Amino acid sequence: MTATTPTIKLGSGLVIGYTAPLATFGESVELQGGTHFLLARNGRGKSTLLRTIAGSLRKLSGDFTTEGFMQYLPEDMRFDPEIAPKTIFKTLLPKARHEAAFSLADRIELDVNKMYGKLSTGNRRKTALIMAEHSVMPDRGNILLLDEPFSGLDAFARETFEEMWDNTSENVLRLVSCHPDYDSMTMPSVLLIEGNTVSHHSGDDQKWSSLKALLN
Amino acid sequence: MRLFKLTFATIFRRKAWAFCLFAVLFLPFALPMISSASEKPVLVQPARIQAAWGTLFICTMVWGFFAAARLGESNSRSGTGEYFRTTGLSATRQLFEIWLALLTFIVPLAFIAMAICLFAAMPSEASEKAMWWTLNFQYLTLFLLVFAPLLALACALASRFGGITGFGVTFLITIYGLYGVGYLDNMLKVEANSALQALWLYSPQYRFADLTQRLYFKTGALSGEVFSNMIFYFAAILAVNTGISRLCFRTSATV
Repeated sequence: MTATTPTIKLGSGLVIGYTAPLATFGESVELQGGTHFLLARNGRGKSTLLRTIAGSLRKLSGDFTTEGFMQYLPEDMRFDPEIAPKTIFKTLLPKARHEAAFSLADRIELDVNKMYGKLSTGNRRKTALIMAEHSVMPDRGNILLLDEPFSGLDAFARETFEEMWDNTSENVLRLVSCHPDYDSMTMPSVLLIEGNTVSHHSGDDQKWSSLKALLN
Repeated sequence: MRLFKLTFATIFRRKAWAFCLFAVLFLPFALPMISSASEKPVLVQPARIQAAWGTLFICTMVWGFFAAARLGESNSRSGTGEYFRTTGLSATRQLFEIWLALLTFIVPLAFIAMAICLFAAMPSEASEKAMWWTLNFQYLTLFLLVFAPLLALACALASRFGGITGFGVTFLITIYGLYGVGYLDNMLKVEANSALQALWLYSPQYRFADLTQRLYFKTGALSGEVFSNMIFYFAAILAVNTGISRLCFRTSATV
């Protein structure tokens, strides 16, 4: 393991929730660089788990540790309606990343000059994702906690981001909560909240079709 | 300083600052023309002084507090505050960066008001000139000492209780400190009341920071001792306001 390897260690017995317990880890889980999906039915604690790992919410009991530069992108995060994505990128990203961000925006058809308030839901998500992805620190481990990043995204943009994730899986750990919309979607590493228990499922050929029966 | 840059760009983009800039630059010259000073040239300079500082006070209390409240509310409710916090930007640092972005717009307005007094309302007598510079710098210092923490307070209250509360409470505290405590003082001179006396004692006496009348009547600069006492007094209020602001400020509306 190097200094650039991001890690999340979630201990057995870790309990998440606001005031009442929502889900418990039955076994210890260690996640490293790469994309990990977080699956559960609505209201079972996906956002709660992400916010707990991010440090926005206190754990109810148990332990977990993280190593790496953290970014948690809330599902409903939004910027001021009167500024354009171009301004957002220019103010929040290092100068050396501007060109890459604008290029990606162009590829996935995000108009960076349009006011944020006039963008569609999908384009707002693109703005936040581009900002977070280009805020990644190349010389150290990164943890990106993405809450429903695909909601409102078109298939092309989604594929573009997934390609990007494959290319930067070494020093970036992405934990992505989502509701998959096609059975053949490959998910090699999945945190699954079944009932009140969180478990880890992994396998190179693991697909959404084999996992959805576990959700209750 | 990512949040500072984003906040600065947001304020700049909203353009309301341009109206304040125009008002602070233009009204001190326009208002005396439509007042009784237009018939008595000797009153033009005093009228200009009143217009310059008055416009600055109004712009800061209306636009400054409103912008602070809006930014504080937006930071906590839009998810950006939570995002920045997870990247390691503490709540204290977020409040500081938002406040600093606001101050970057307010400070130049204050300097413009002072510059108008210095260069467009300067007394002709040499002895008064030196005093004029001192008094204007004293006024600028006290103005910033009073309003800088109030901007942070508006932002912090709005992040927890909403924009209307953030703006309204701060605005009322300022009005009370500038005018209300004066009326209370007069009431207490007419009739003693221990409860009102206690209230008066713990009230922020912002009226002491309003030196417009000293400029207007050319009564000279504050003595070193009085000025340093006022600095200590307003620095103490600044400390209290800063503490309250930090306690109230939150980065997320849902936690």
